[in-house]
Amino acid sequence: MAEQKFVHLKINDRDVEVPAGTLVIEASKQIATEVPSFCYYPGLSLQAACRMCLVEVEKMPKLQTACTLVATEGMVVRTDTAQIKQARKGVLEFLLTNHPLDCPVCDKGGECELQDMVFRYGADSSRFVEEKIHRPEEKWSEIVYYDAPRCILCFRCVRVCDEGMDVKALGVGMRGANSVIIPNREDHLECEECGMCIDICPVGALTSGTYRYKTRPWEMEYVPTTCAHCSNGCKTTLSVRNHEIVRANNRDLSGINGDFLCVKGRFGFDFTKHPERIKQPLVRKGDKLLPVSWEEAAQLAGARLKEIHGKHGGDAIGFIGSNRTSNEENFLFAKLARETFGSANIDHHRTADYTGLMTALGENARDSLLTMDQLYRAKAVLLVGNDPTYQNPLVAWQIRSGVRHHGLKLFIIHAKQIKLVRQAARFVQVPEGQEAAAVRWLESGAALEPALVEQLTALKAELGAASELAIVFGSELAGAAIASLVNFGSKLAGKVRYMALGDYANSRGAADMGVLPDHGPGYAGVAKAGLNAPAMVEAAQNGQLKALYVVGANPLAHYGTLGYGRGKAELLIVHELFMTETARQADVVFPAASAYEKDGTVTNTSGEMQRLQKAAEVMGPRTDFDLLRILSHQLEKQGLGKAFHYKNPAAVFAEIRKTVPGYDVELGALLAGEAEEAHIPVRRNGKPYDVPVGLIRSANDTLFTSGTLSKFLTTIESVPEAQAKS
Amino acid sequence: MELSPQLAARFDKLGNAYPVKRSALIPMMIYAQDEYGYVSDEMIEEIARRLELRTVQVEETLAYYSMLRRKPMGKHHVQVCTNVACMLRGGYEILDQAKKRLEIGHKETTKDGVFSLEEVECIGACTGAPAIQVNYDFYENLTTKQFDRIIEELDAGRRPAPVPVISGALHDRDPQETVLISARWGIKDSRKIDVYLQNGGYQALEKALNQMTPETIIDEVKKSNLRGRGGAGFPTGMKWSFVPKDSPKARYVICNADESEPGTCKDRPLMEMDPHQLIEGMIIAGRAIGAHRGFIYIRGEYRYVLDLVEEAIQEAYQRGYLGQNILGSGFDYDLLIHTGAGAYECGEESALMESLEGKRGYPRIKPPFPAVVGLYGCPTIINNVETLSAVPAIIKEGGEAYANRGTPKNGGTRLLCVAGHVNKPGIYEIPLGMNMKKFIYEMAGGIPNGRKLKAVIPGGSSCPLLTADEIDLAMDYDAVAKAGSMLGSGGMVVMDEETCMVDMARRIMHFYAHESCGWCIPCREGTIWLRKMLERFHAGLGRSEDIDMVGELAKNMLGRTFCPLGDAAAMPTISIVQKFRSEFEDHLNGRCAYKSAEALVGTR
Repeated sequence: MAEQKFVHLKINDRDVEVPAGTLVIEASKQIATEVPSFCYYPGLSLQAACRMCLVEVEKMPKLQTACTLVATEGMVVRTDTAQIKQARKGVLEFLLTNHPLDCPVCDKGGECELQDMVFRYGADSSRFVEEKIHRPEEKWSEIVYYDAPRCILCFRCVRVCDEGMDVKALGVGMRGANSVIIPNREDHLECEECGMCIDICPVGALTSGTYRYKTRPWEMEYVPTTCAHCSNGCKTTLSVRNHEIVRANNRDLSGINGDFLCVKGRFGFDFTKHPERIKQPLVRKGDKLLPVSWEEAAQLAGARLKEIHGKHGGDAIGFIGSNRTSNEENFLFAKLARETFGSANIDHHRTADYTGLMTALGENARDSLLTMDQLYRAKAVLLVGNDPTYQNPLVAWQIRSGVRHHGLKLFIIHAKQIKLVRQAARFVQVPEGQEAAAVRWLESGAALEPALVEQLTALKAELGAASELAIVFGSELAGAAIASLVNFGSKLAGKVRYMALGDYANSRGAADMGVLPDHGPGYAGVAKAGLNAPAMVEAAQNGQLKALYVVGANPLAHYGTLGYGRGKAELLIVHELFMTETARQADVVFPAASAYEKDGTVTNTSGEMQRLQKAAEVMGPRTDFDLLRILSHQLEKQGLGKAFHYKNPAAVFAEIRKTVPGYDVELGALLAGEAEEAHIPVRRNGKPYDVPVGLIRSANDTLFTSGTLSKFLTTIESVPEAQAKS
Repeated sequence: MELSPQLAARFDKLGNAYPVKRSALIPMMIYAQDEYGYVSDEMIEEIARRLELRTVQVEETLAYYSMLRRKPMGKHHVQVCTNVACMLRGGYEILDQAKKRLEIGHKETTKDGVFSLEEVECIGACTGAPAIQVNYDFYENLTTKQFDRIIEELDAGRRPAPVPVISGALHDRDPQETVLISARWGIKDSRKIDVYLQNGGYQALEKALNQMTPETIIDEVKKSNLRGRGGAGFPTGMKWSFVPKDSPKARYVICNADESEPGTCKDRPLMEMDPHQLIEGMIIAGRAIGAHRGFIYIRGEYRYVLDLVEEAIQEAYQRGYLGQNILGSGFDYDLLIHTGAGAYECGEESALMESLEGKRGYPRIKPPFPAVVGLYGCPTIINNVETLSAVPAIIKEGGEAYANRGTPKNGGTRLLCVAGHVNKPGIYEIPLGMNMKKFIYEMAGGIPNGRKLKAVIPGGSSCPLLTADEIDLAMDYDAVAKAGSMLGSGGMVVMDEETCMVDMARRIMHFYAHESCGWCIPCREGTIWLRKMLERFHAGLGRSEDIDMVGELAKNMLGRTFCPLGDAAAMPTISIVQKFRSEFEDHLNGRCAYKSAEALVGTR
């Protein structure tokens, strides 16, 4: 690596050393000296428009904007002189001339950068006695409201929508003091509704339509947790009042997602209080599911499971786990299936073939997996399949930011011209379903049509020339195809790292914790493999499997003979939030808590583990951890298996750390809200690994859907873009 | 959208004329507007489609420029200038007459859609003040009666003859004028290539291409001490030498023909009467820095001048002075003239480049400077019309000879357009260093009606004003700067003792508030605050603290803004408050001692 040059400068008489190329505004952060600014935003193009960051520099006659001034050797900077103080006051005074005195009714009050600036640097009264320019507030979507008089024209919103999100839905209208931000459809927005513009706005010009007038920032508790939706594991801070989630954002810019949060992370929390939430245990009586007491439901479930186990053995019961339950819950679920019931029939809806990747990497996992940060910093990225913009928004953001900031070279193999192709250095379009064939060609020159071969040859040359490469792939590659990919990567000159893209918040955790028929926790081998999820449903429908235990999944909507329901299955027990197709067919339904209502850990698609923190409390549902614990006690009472005596999910996690290789992470960082990489080394046993076609199935969610939760995301459902797609 | 064959052909040509497609955006919009009267939503979509842009990008660019509109105005759009020079010679009376005669107000259209009215900023007809435009036609030296007659003619379906050439350019030469770049003015058909060739044209080009090298050309320009004639006065040779010799990128020469500085109208006659001189200068500049493409960015209001220059460009191509292998030198050069659409800020070099690239005219962060990172990110030199027009003379007579016409470090001659309260408003070519007082009283004929001189704007409204005691100085960049003002753009405006300086301050600030691009806080908010304050003050509702506040607010803008427009707004304002404080104090008592008192109390 090239040696980094450093420069030495003085800021307010203090010595500062920074890497060459650092802006003075960043250099001053090193000595905890704030140079205030509105329009400067790390990661977005420089503007020097607000003039708040003016500083004095020796030998330069005019005041300089610290946000565009690169620190040079021997530079002498002052940020604290009387002139600077007066300059800042002057800028704020100008800004406040047209800014309305809306603080009492403005949603931003209490977390407004203008308020903070005026408090610190401004004058205590206004000299402006002229008439202000008034404009009515505009509603640009269900989510975005714009108030022009409040707007300070810092253009952060325009830049984040254009440069950051590559959507370009915002522009600037008119000129001079009449300038306003304009939406792309005259009077409303047609966009990805991510809400980045709302959170990046320093004042209350852009505000959230779902949060309007609800409460004040100081009346809420802030609970940082991990987003419940896609597999990228963005940190979202839930603002909670009276146990109810009022809004979500990532304003503190922490977490692996940094600046970023998509529409689901920001607005996808209102399912927690949807009126259709199941709040009581339900038991089938006749052809109806009726609410019963907890005792009745638990006893019935335990008794019937014990009965079937006694009559037919563990192999007659199938366990289908969840993409969204925590690692602790997955661990317990797998433990219940294997130890209590002696069943190997355990699986979940696999949205990516993590087993395939971990098996292919074997002992090299630690060195070969790609974190979200490493993806951003990559010099070259190969994307095979998947449409990250809509399915894995953080992945797309990292790639786009990498391209923009340091010229990351993006290569794409895909059946469609996805939006990321705009950033691609090279795009090879393959017919649908031929992604694996393309990978096999890359590995060994397997047969392929000549036009594709020509394109792939050029691609291969560029990949070979890369000093390091990040390979990101979707569910189009599974089983042996992944082994081909890893084999190809191993032959490249540069260092290669991999990321498999799954769909849900804990898809990776489900696999890591062994919610699989052929691998235990940590991808340990099993004595005898059981049925996979589709096979379980078929077997249940034709009566071979007598009972199905389903936690946080909807298998009857996707597997087996569709529409045939539970078929000949004698017992169907479900943990769910809402009445899905599967829940409707159940004998017992336990109301389950969502990811936002529990503590625990989840692992994102790149293997980064983060904590879940309980934010909301809904009366009625209980966490799956509780439900499994209750059931285990019931079963023990009835003579089957040992009850779980874990006091709380943390106790389960302690066991996971001891028993699952790669999960023995630093607790301190994890508890403080950091992500810890869980890299499980898998001992290869030489047997080639493959999966049947169709087993690995992407949920094909969009920005506006999230599996079974889709219908219940009230805010997200209400935006026209969501309706247009459905 | 179905376009007329002419417009479709024009669009097709524009879409391919530039290295980057988006550059065609503003010309496309204004040509569409010329045909349809406005830019409709469908037209926006059509243009977006052709240029591969989103409609919001087209909309936001359109919204920046004063001349572009999304709703129809009248068939005859009457634009009355009330900026400094016109204001001093009855511009407001013409405006009032217009409102009376047409029975409509500012930005309104008559019911039959025949006329619309707009009070506009400086249109570049200062020496013919008061002046108006009807669509693109200039009518100058107007009286209210003449205005009425123009309307009558238009009403009857006839087109009254616009001025053939800017007023005040063709006048008997004062013996003290040093006629160099205005030498061909007054010769019949001076703008035609044959006349140009007969009168010494393209000889400098021959010398530059076939007897000199790029380095020696730059050296000669350095020796000439030619300084930017647009206003900043930066040494031209030095600017050209900043272009990196080893950059692999394309290079460009841009001529800044945006002439919008109030009081300034000297590039207009240069272009309309001697376009080939400018073309020759641009080719030589291209040779000097290795540029094979030049662009002339001309303000949208100067359409008839654009048409004349375009004819000259075509002549040059036909005769081999543009295109490939010019004069057998092996040097290729292409030239294109590009229209603006009404934005003073686009006269700022970096904002001009943004506008040429088809975007809103926001200035750019400097450094890097255009010579290193300019148009389309490539090395670019950008010079004023007059600066480039001087290049052939410099090459012909040599840099040293040119320099010796002026004063040390201030070489050559410059055009001075003097307007306002003088007997002989006009455009004169003087040597750098001529005495200002002498110029005003001798060449410009002194103050009419036996009045006394009160104040002078030396070179465009962005300069601090000079009082009668301060005009006894040499007119070169350094001397005027030493006296606390600027030689500037050459747009001199003279005010007599009956002028209300508070009203002048008001009108000047009105201009900057209108033209502020809105990028940075101090200029955007400061100009409009000061405009409102000065309006209130001039209307008699001022408070005593306002007088000092005007100066303080202006000082909060000075040196703090992103580009010099903020300084341009602050400097004249500060000078007026400082030098004419008593007039402000008079207004406090509801009193304005001057004729403009009609505009007072209660009417604003």
